Amino acid sequence: MKRIFVLFLIAVLSLVSFAVKLTFWTAPNAFQEEFWKTVVAQWNKMRPDIQIEVQTIPAAGSSEEAILSAIAAGNAPDFSENIFSGFAAQLAEIGAIYPLDNFGTDFQRLVEARKMKNIMETWKIKGKYYVFPIYSNPMIFWWRGDILKSLGYNEPPRTYGEIYELSKKFADGKKKFTMQVISGRNWWDRWFDFITYYYAATGGKPYIDVEKRKVNFGDETGKAVVQFIYTMFQNKWTAVELGTNPFYNGTILAKITGPWEVNWAKETFPKVVPNIWFSAPPVPDNYPKDKPIYTFADTKGLVIYSTCKDKRAAFEFISWVFSNVQNDVLWIEKTQMPPAREDLTTNPAFAKFMNDKFFKAYASFVPYAVPPALTDKTIDIQQSMTTNLIEPLMYLKGKPEDILNKAVKEINKLLF
Amino acid sequence: MSSKFGKKERLFGYSIVLPYLAYTAIFWGYPFVWMVVLAFTKWNYFSKPKFIGLQNFLRILTDSTVLRIALNTLNFLAYLIPMVLTASLLFALALTKVRFGKTFIMLSFLVANVSSGVAYSLLFSNLFSINGPINRLLDDLFGITIPWFSNPQLAVFSICLIITWKFIGYYGLILYASLLSIPQSLYEAAELDGATKSQIFWKITLPLLNPSLITVTVLAVMLTFGIFTEPYLITGGGPMQRTITFLIYMYDTAFKRVDPSYATTVAIVTALVSYLLVMLIRKFFEKEVSFV
Repeated sequence: MKRIFVLFLIAVLSLVSFAVKLTFWTAPNAFQEEFWKTVVAQWNKMRPDIQIEVQTIPAAGSSEEAILSAIAAGNAPDFSENIFSGFAAQLAEIGAIYPLDNFGTDFQRLVEARKMKNIMETWKIKGKYYVFPIYSNPMIFWWRGDILKSLGYNEPPRTYGEIYELSKKFADGKKKFTMQVISGRNWWDRWFDFITYYYAATGGKPYIDVEKRKVNFGDETGKAVVQFIYTMFQNKWTAVELGTNPFYNGTILAKITGPWEVNWAKETFPKVVPNIWFSAPPVPDNYPKDKPIYTFADTKGLVIYSTCKDKRAAFEFISWVFSNVQNDVLWIEKTQMPPAREDLTTNPAFAKFMNDKFFKAYASFVPYAVPPALTDKTIDIQQSMTTNLIEPLMYLKGKPEDILNKAVKEINKLLF
Repeated sequence: MSSKFGKKERLFGYSIVLPYLAYTAIFWGYPFVWMVVLAFTKWNYFSKPKFIGLQNFLRILTDSTVLRIALNTLNFLAYLIPMVLTASLLFALALTKVRFGKTFIMLSFLVANVSSGVAYSLLFSNLFSINGPINRLLDDLFGITIPWFSNPQLAVFSICLIITWKFIGYYGLILYASLLSIPQSLYEAAELDGATKSQIFWKITLPLLNPSLITVTVLAVMLTFGIFTEPYLITGGGPMQRTITFLIYMYDTAFKRVDPSYATTVAIVTALVSYLLVMLIRKFFEKEVSFV
């Protein structure tokens, strides 16, 4: 008995010492981290031969900067999540990530098991699949229903004209503003303002023609969008700086956000949360009433880096996590974010979440949520958008149409 | 010619300097050579560097962002040099009048200099935010709200204010040491001649402080070319690109645009420009000072 125990101990020890050890970076978000720690703990217990170490993407201006710095320093993890399609295209361009197609039928089986065949198509980069999509967050507007009610509204305004009317009743240009029109000055903020408005106003038309490498938003609808942003700033119905938590303290009536804010809001502002109403992004006054309103989809996925010590082992872990629908259930419980699955509204495993008003609201927008343009120039384009489009509009530097034309010209130069 | 040291002594000497030589070679020599190589190549971290001659240098000449940053740097210099010189000088002069707790005061100001840039940037960002405590106070007292970081020109001033706060202690100490070295006899002689306090300051103190003032100015000029943390964390280079600096641009180019070759070229050009500027300052403003 003693001998068997010793042999068993030696076997376990040798398995552990010869185990593949992979580093996995997760998004710097406590709820996502919690999910990954839970599933990785289960995996590590089950597979002593492939041990995964979970680390949060190091603090930096953005996850992209942290990952690129790590690649430059030769400290890239084996695989990581929180990768948006444009960044994946950039990483694929420099050969930093490994195509998942290389896993052949195993990869196809996983795609089928997770019901994401069509979703995968929107992530194709140069004919290959480099990213495994994890979630797809439609961006929707949250409104202060309690304040709207006191102003005589039973539902949030839908069009630019309706927002102007509301602004005249509520905004004073000093301490009260209608909504957060511009999300910030980081490059990624353009997803949550101009790009979202453009998707909404055009019925989901791409803002960049990736094939022809030119800007689409210099059209009439683009003009309507910039006019809206300009009008809001010109009349002081919105402001450059709105302070800390302006939505929750009643400085603004509306803001655009993703489901990642739900759990935090419930914990931090429990009195405000029950009064939140949802709406699609605002649209021009002539937008057809019967047509659905599109929005931006904040889509993020998982990649395996070319420098990964054992790519097959990393893929085995990924397959194990995402072929089990219960892990997607756990994902929603922890993060409130809709997994990138096509059976979200039909699979009984997710039925219980439809009782949650937040999840229901976000899930209802999934079919109308459009991901960002798949270009390796995303960061350059959106930084240029900030400098040449958003900031001149915010600071009223010129006529909206001129500002738009200049921005289109500058971005076309980048794309050419 | 034979050395006056034996083999053992020479080896001992080498062993003493070896760690420093190794450190210099690894952390200064190698990166420097690599930087020069990169400036003449195109590289994206993964591919092999491709020689492209002077293309990166020519690109700088047509890069509108570089021009914007050059103007920003002049703007920063125009604010920062007078602000930091005046504040440090006032601090140094005040120190000479303090009788008790001088060490404590000096240490209090030096704490700012050794504080984490990230920590104080976030602190100031909150203090000066639109609904932060400073604006709340201003609103209560005078009914005004100042957009410290969202007005393009004010943002430069606000960032210079933070940097000045950080360096008052350090530069003030340099000036204070210099003030102490001015012989009292000069002041006594001036007083006997009936010079006013203002005359003493302008005709004696300030001219004799020239070497230290030049040192502080040179340090502040070099500091201006190295501004990164404050605008990166507080304004992100905005508004309207007014606070974007060479370091922010280098960082963005290297780590957002995946173009380390161009980033190093910008770094080389920035270093040369700052060196030239420092040389010019020394040539035109540095004066020999004699106390006799």
